[in-house]
Amino acid sequence: MHPSRPFSSGAFRFAFLLASCFALGSMGLLLTVNHLIEQYITEELTDGVETETDILKGEQSELGQAELVHAIERHARAVRDTSFRYLLLDGKRQALTGSLPVSSGVSGWHRITVTAHDEQGDHSVSLLAKGTSLSNGWLLVVAGDLQDSRELAWQLRRFTALAGILISLLALIGGLGVGSLFLRRLDETNRSIHRIIHGHFSERLPRFGLSPEFDDLTDNLNRMLERIEVLMEGLRQVSTDVAHDLRTPLTRLRHRLEAIRYDASPEEIEARVEGCVDQIDDIIRIFASLLRIATLENGKARANFETVDLSGLLGRLGAAFTPAIEDGGRRLTVSIAPNVEVQGDRDLIAQAVTNLLENAARHTPMGSEVKLDLLGPDHGHTTRIVIEDNGPGIPQEDRAKVFRRFFRGERSRTTPGSGLGLALVSAIVQLHEGAIELEDAAPGLRVIVSLP
Amino acid sequence: MKLLLLEDDEETANYLAKALRGEGHVVDIAQTGPDAIFLGASNKYDVLVLDRMVPAVDGLAVLRGLRAAGVQAPALFLTALGEISDRVEGLNAGGDDYLVKPFAASELVARIAALGRRRPVVETSGFITIGDLDIDLLKRAVTRAGRRIDLQQQEFKLLEYMARHVGQVVTRTMLLEHVWDFHFDPGTNLITSHISRLRGKIDRDFDVELIRTVRGVGYRLDAPV
Repeated sequence: MHPSRPFSSGAFRFAFLLASCFALGSMGLLLTVNHLIEQYITEELTDGVETETDILKGEQSELGQAELVHAIERHARAVRDTSFRYLLLDGKRQALTGSLPVSSGVSGWHRITVTAHDEQGDHSVSLLAKGTSLSNGWLLVVAGDLQDSRELAWQLRRFTALAGILISLLALIGGLGVGSLFLRRLDETNRSIHRIIHGHFSERLPRFGLSPEFDDLTDNLNRMLERIEVLMEGLRQVSTDVAHDLRTPLTRLRHRLEAIRYDASPEEIEARVEGCVDQIDDIIRIFASLLRIATLENGKARANFETVDLSGLLGRLGAAFTPAIEDGGRRLTVSIAPNVEVQGDRDLIAQAVTNLLENAARHTPMGSEVKLDLLGPDHGHTTRIVIEDNGPGIPQEDRAKVFRRFFRGERSRTTPGSGLGLALVSAIVQLHEGAIELEDAAPGLRVIVSLP
Repeated sequence: MKLLLLEDDEETANYLAKALRGEGHVVDIAQTGPDAIFLGASNKYDVLVLDRMVPAVDGLAVLRGLRAAGVQAPALFLTALGEISDRVEGLNAGGDDYLVKPFAASELVARIAALGRRRPVVETSGFITIGDLDIDLLKRAVTRAGRRIDLQQQEFKLLEYMARHVGQVVTRTMLLEHVWDFHFDPGTNLITSHISRLRGKIDRDFDVELIRTVRGVGYRLDAPV
């Protein structure tokens, strides 16, 4: 974990990017404003000079050229506060009147710079001038002052630039604010993750709270953590259980092997060896069941799914088990709905039903009744396989645990079994995307396996 | 019989070969796929016993190679534990039987005997006669010493399977597979119960027992000598 460094942090980058966008935008705005003002000013001035020139020409044609000099002087006086200046040259390029330097006596549009005096002293003024040749060979120059409009343009520009800078700054601050808020949340999340990595598996990520999208993400991650925790717990449980539950048969096996040393007759030895082989077969069966459960739980076995004639399969199972259950002193009643089919793995379904039948026969007293029913899909129900007995049942507090590997209820401590039967059933049902429920059959246990 | 055994694990191969030789079979061991194909194509074997998982080659490929070379001998696959789809794959590839590891040597012996060429000949007329036991396969009727014996459907199928393998040991798993089509371990003694019912009807009232228990292995239907 590193503390977030302000200038390399995502928040700062985010803010900087945001501010740059605004700055660029402001710059663009400024350029546009500038261009428009330039255009406007030039047009205004051009119009003004044109108009002034036309007026003077009009006065010349009306009053004659002698009067033109007076007119210009009159105009010059009148427009003192505006910005027109004049120059009238005769045919010999001698100035007749006007305040512009003779050098500006050029016909057509041109720019000139003159020195002006005011309170602030001398400074150069830029003028836009138009020289017009009059009919008598004189040259009239009218020039407009750009100064005032430049002033206006400058004001506008300054305002735009300031606004741009201000907006960019605001964007920077806002971006930093939002970004660091975001980063703080991210830091909290990262710290949580860090703690989880270091073994606090029950910790969950804090809610982001900035937007529903982030909260959704957090919730999803938390759900994933939940699932992983369950799986890890299962794994730990299983490893412990495996180690624990295999110790007993292995110890017993060792004792038997040791005991062979003290057996005298070949018959005794023969019997011992057989006992040992049985013991090993039991251990192998436990491993096989564990492997099978693991294989089923990773879901790859779905590849072998086909349409299974469930009515036929359960009918055969019932018939196959009836004698064995009778020999064990219990009764099996089978009732099968016809023509029920499911998608699944025949052998696995058979294995699951077998385990349930075995449990019913094993954990009930002699004389108990065991029922195997197949109910086809009907209003609101999917296909159900029901195995019921009238034995002691399973206490409420054990019902959730019986599907765990190696779980043995208090009452079944004395009966044979590895405690893997129901775990395998549960794995098979899950693989088929079905459900398994335990109910009180009053008296006894009712197991309902629903298959989609 | 002459057998080919493909098994890469030396200890397993020797143990199985010893058990099979003890039954009077001649066993050739191949430890790699190419060896098995070479041996199988250049000798005449009665039964092929192929491990599915030998290094670098699948037993299935070996069998395909041999079948392509015209080898007709029945094949039995030995498959690893916990692979549910193994059996289907094996049978699709032209295998005749399969056995999941770990298994008892006696199980392998019994299955090889059942696969071998010296199988009892079933009367083509649809009748099997074993001593004074007559089985009519078409009518599903059984008589012993002329007396009619009523059998339930499952009992009949059980008797029929044993009669088709008269004189051979049939194991519990063979019965589960062929009579009930169960390819998993039901764990209970359901075979025992069925056999005892069948015995009750076939053997109980007669002097000679036809159904024998082979301890730790299975059962055998024997024609009285």
